[in-house]
Amino acid sequence: MADRVRVRGVTIHRPIIYGNTATVLTPAERETSHYPDHTHRWTVAVRSATSAPDSDVVGGADDLAYFIKRVTFKLHDTYPNPTRNIDKPPFEVSETGWGEFEIQIRITFVAESGEKAITLYHHLKLHPWSVTFPLPNATSVPAEPEIPSPENAAKLGPVHSWQYDEIVFADPFQNFLALLTAHPPTPLPKTSLSKKPVPFHMSNPASLEASLKGGVPEFTSAMEKEEADRLEEAKGKIIKEQEKWRSILMEKEKELEKLQKLLAPKE
Amino acid sequence: MAVSASDIRSALSLPSSSTPVPSAQPAPRKSQGQVTKKPEGISRELYALIGPSAPSLVAHLAKPRLKQKPNLSSGGKVKWEWRTFRNGARTDSLQLGHWAKATDDQNAEYPFTKYNVQSPSFAYSQDEYTQLLEDKDWTNEETDYLFSVVREYDTRWYVVHDRYEYLNGPARSLEELKDRYYSVCRKLIRNRPWAGDEASKAQLLNSYQFDKDRERMRKDYIASLEQRTPEEIAEEEALFIELKRLEQNERKFKKERDDLLRTLLGIDSGLPDIVAEEDGPSALSAEGFKKKKKNANEIDIPPTPSNIISLGPPPPKRAQSAKSVAYDAQHCIIRVEPPPSAITKVTHVPVHLRSFKLPAPKAAILPKVTQALTELGINHTRMVMPTRENCARLESLIEASTALIDTKKIVDRVEQDIRVLRVRLGRQSEGPGEDTKEGTPMEVEGGADGEGELKPEVDGRAQSIVSTRSGRGRKQSRRSISVSSIDTSASARVGKRQKRV
Repeated sequence: MADRVRVRGVTIHRPIIYGNTATVLTPAERETSHYPDHTHRWTVAVRSATSAPDSDVVGGADDLAYFIKRVTFKLHDTYPNPTRNIDKPPFEVSETGWGEFEIQIRITFVAESGEKAITLYHHLKLHPWSVTFPLPNATSVPAEPEIPSPENAAKLGPVHSWQYDEIVFADPFQNFLALLTAHPPTPLPKTSLSKKPVPFHMSNPASLEASLKGGVPEFTSAMEKEEADRLEEAKGKIIKEQEKWRSILMEKEKELEKLQKLLAPKE
Repeated sequence: MAVSASDIRSALSLPSSSTPVPSAQPAPRKSQGQVTKKPEGISRELYALIGPSAPSLVAHLAKPRLKQKPNLSSGGKVKWEWRTFRNGARTDSLQLGHWAKATDDQNAEYPFTKYNVQSPSFAYSQDEYTQLLEDKDWTNEETDYLFSVVREYDTRWYVVHDRYEYLNGPARSLEELKDRYYSVCRKLIRNRPWAGDEASKAQLLNSYQFDKDRERMRKDYIASLEQRTPEEIAEEEALFIELKRLEQNERKFKKERDDLLRTLLGIDSGLPDIVAEEDGPSALSAEGFKKKKKNANEIDIPPTPSNIISLGPPPPKRAQSAKSVAYDAQHCIIRVEPPPSAITKVTHVPVHLRSFKLPAPKAAILPKVTQALTELGINHTRMVMPTRENCARLESLIEASTALIDTKKIVDRVEQDIRVLRVRLGRQSEGPGEDTKEGTPMEVEGGADGEGELKPEVDGRAQSIVSTRSGRGRKQSRRSISVSSIDTSASARVGKRQKRV
């Protein structure tokens, strides 16, 4: 029973990625498939953030089964058995389809954790990325991204959409903590040793070019640092603005005081 | 040696007589013969003695030469010329002259410019004053006066204290002035958004530490130390020596007692194993005691603001060893101090994804913050790599943006007040009064201009126009005080509207 005591003041987290890859079906595949209107084959997965060396999938260096009991992927209702339960690794679902939709991912943890399941959402991405959000100085709203034709899409290669996140456990039970520490996560590499492309993210549109290098993307701690630099730079700019406005404020206060003094004797 | 006539003749270059000629001739030949074999490095006689035997010659020549004197005077003459120069640190473009080497770079900066270091001075707005800096002993004006004096005399406290003359105010001691100044600075540092990490902020904060009571006590102690009579000094020294002797005795006694116990009881004496004891107070105490002493020593050194080497607060709990830090990093463990109130049980925070708990700005200003951040290319709803550090950075970024937007709101409010006052001033005067066309809100001299233009021109129609204009202007200004765009060209737009009217 001593195991079921919570270790206060300790927070432990595990980095994961979740997302999907999608490839265009070749005309030959489409002819022989049961669903001729399906255009893409895609795989949605929950894996560890670090990629295994010489692997052709994103992430997955560590086996997450030591703390994840089951992952449930809820697909679109038009799929047969849309609720796909995956009870053992690899926690992924592969299907064919023609449309993008939101997949609900529910992660259930092992019993030792004493935690409820968590739900995340992932928008299934089939068509290649393009940056379409309005730029700060744009006057017109840019058009919707064009969906390339199957031949062009096949040329562009598989589409990846992945999100890094960390599952945070606060005040874990003693035995759960021991279980977690028995499986330390492989840390993210500083940069991709095999020169894999950077995974694209909408919050960092500048990464679009780097992500199109070709090949399976890999998560690195350089990405984290890049974001940190961006945030710091933005903060620096804001603080400069803030100082400028503060000095304006002080000038105006002086002016106000002067005017008030003028007004006072007259009244 | 015998000097022959031929020698004298040759010395004096006299023409030789006929008889001594044959003897003169062999003499120069002999000397010539000797001259051709001129030895180097050794004297002629020595060479004649040694003969041309190589080893001894070489050995002789290989004698190390004495170190030559270093050529200090740069080998040649140095030309100096009189040059005029400007000190970059001066604001008044005074030209002075000095001697400089001709070879020195003509346009090199005056080397003493870099010593004109200014200490960072703080300026606060009225709003900040009312929010943070109110104090019962200090009025706003007196605080402003203090800051202006400090700035003028460059934080040299003795001068500041001497020149500080606030009319109708209480007499302020040096410690009071310093206390007020440093507490204001500390509050400002703490509450303003800070570019850079927490560690540098803590460092800066520390440099502004000032404890008034401790300072006063310290100065009193020093003064009393100065004023001790010689008898007191002698008494103190005697006491000190006695204390040392007592300590030594105690140490010896304890050691003997321990030795005795050990010999009597052996392993069971319960004493710690014999360690190589060094002579010093540390040998006496256990480790905990040592740490306590060290901590006490650290606290005793009063942290004065001039103390550039910041000591930092002594750690309340022992810092983690390097190994445990690495262990935590490997397992992605973060340790947080559990809240001291153990009475109320902390409800367990359930498991979550870190991006679920992303910091979000307050709902009231959410659209403005979002817009501001979008201009900078940041999306605060979705992060690429939501790690703990990045989330903390995002949070401070949002804080900074919030502060910026608040400041802009206050600027607009003050703006409006100024306009209202100007209008009232204008209406009070007989004539058209102030010119609302000129004096864009950005000008500082706006107030002065308004005053200058209070011409008592009486023009009934003009007056009514002015009043309607200002009336409408006021309504317009009220309407336009919505901080819609981050550019805050709202004020400029209002100005334009008034012009059109």
